Amino acid sequence: MTKRTTTHATFVIEREYPHPPAKVFAAFADPKKKARWFGGPDDWEKSNHQLDFRVGGKESISGGPAGGTVHAYNAEIWDIVDNERIVLAYEMHLDAARISVSLATTEIKPTATGTRLIYTEQGVYLDGYDDAGQREEGTQQLFGQLDAFLNT
Amino acid sequence: MTTTTHASFVIERHYSASPPRVYAAWSDPEAKRAWFVEGEGWDIQSFDIDFREGGSEKSVYGFRRGEEVFGEKTAFSNETVFNEIVENERIVFTYSMARNGRRFSVSLATVEIKPADKGSRLIFTEHGAFFEGGDNVTMREQGWQELLGKLDTFLAESA
Repeated sequence: MTKRTTTHATFVIEREYPHPPAKVFAAFADPKKKARWFGGPDDWEKSNHQLDFRVGGKESISGGPAGGTVHAYNAEIWDIVDNERIVLAYEMHLDAARISVSLATTEIKPTATGTRLIYTEQGVYLDGYDDAGQREEGTQQLFGQLDAFLNT
Repeated sequence: MTTTTHASFVIERHYSASPPRVYAAWSDPEAKRAWFVEGEGWDIQSFDIDFREGGSEKSVYGFRRGEEVFGEKTAFSNETVFNEIVENERIVFTYSMARNGRRFSVSLATVEIKPADKGSRLIFTEHGAFFEGGDNVTMREQGWQELLGKLDTFLAESA
């Protein structure tokens, strides 16, 4: 029998971009653009990224090192305000085990020189599989990929 | 311009009912309606629940004094999706709240049920994103305190 435990944690990642809010928003809203930066490391084998960008729409991608554990991301979009806010809830599985459920808010705000992005993730980590420290590190990597996408 | 405030809270309660009875109050549609939806001053317009992982729950209800309090006829709606269900032990769900069709929050809630002192200990943890024009985490926590109190009454009356 699995020992049921939970760990709750929240982290925030902030970015400044020299681009207008609409360009930053499009990197999340346009499936072709999001697929360019959103996913695991380059050397992972990956499924196709799927994104139905509307409230109630789903997003998914899975992948992992060749022959290794499959990391699966499945999200549902809960709120969209064009060029300002996206709220989604996502589950992560490692193979068959659900390891976390998270609420992720992306806020996009205009600044004098471009855009401030504030990403807030509030999550529950299940049964000791993962912790918020690893998740924050992985999410920082994703934002590094977003930076590279927006700045090239 | 939109504003978003993030906050979390935890409520712990002891119930004299066993974990399976506490769990059933969440999983059984009639039981859930009795303590979660029904209430004095509320006019229930609809309540549907499909209690399984990936299933949803939706309730729409009016506050009978809505026009006096809010200046217009007011309907609230709660939309829920169940992310994880572990029988008798844990329920993780995401829910949004809206007033007259305008969404004002999205939350992630975890309900843990553990055997304790001839009954159960329930730990309710909510992480919320609260939007412009809605309530705030203090009101939300008060709301859940009341609901979890109604659950206590329901469990006592149905014993």
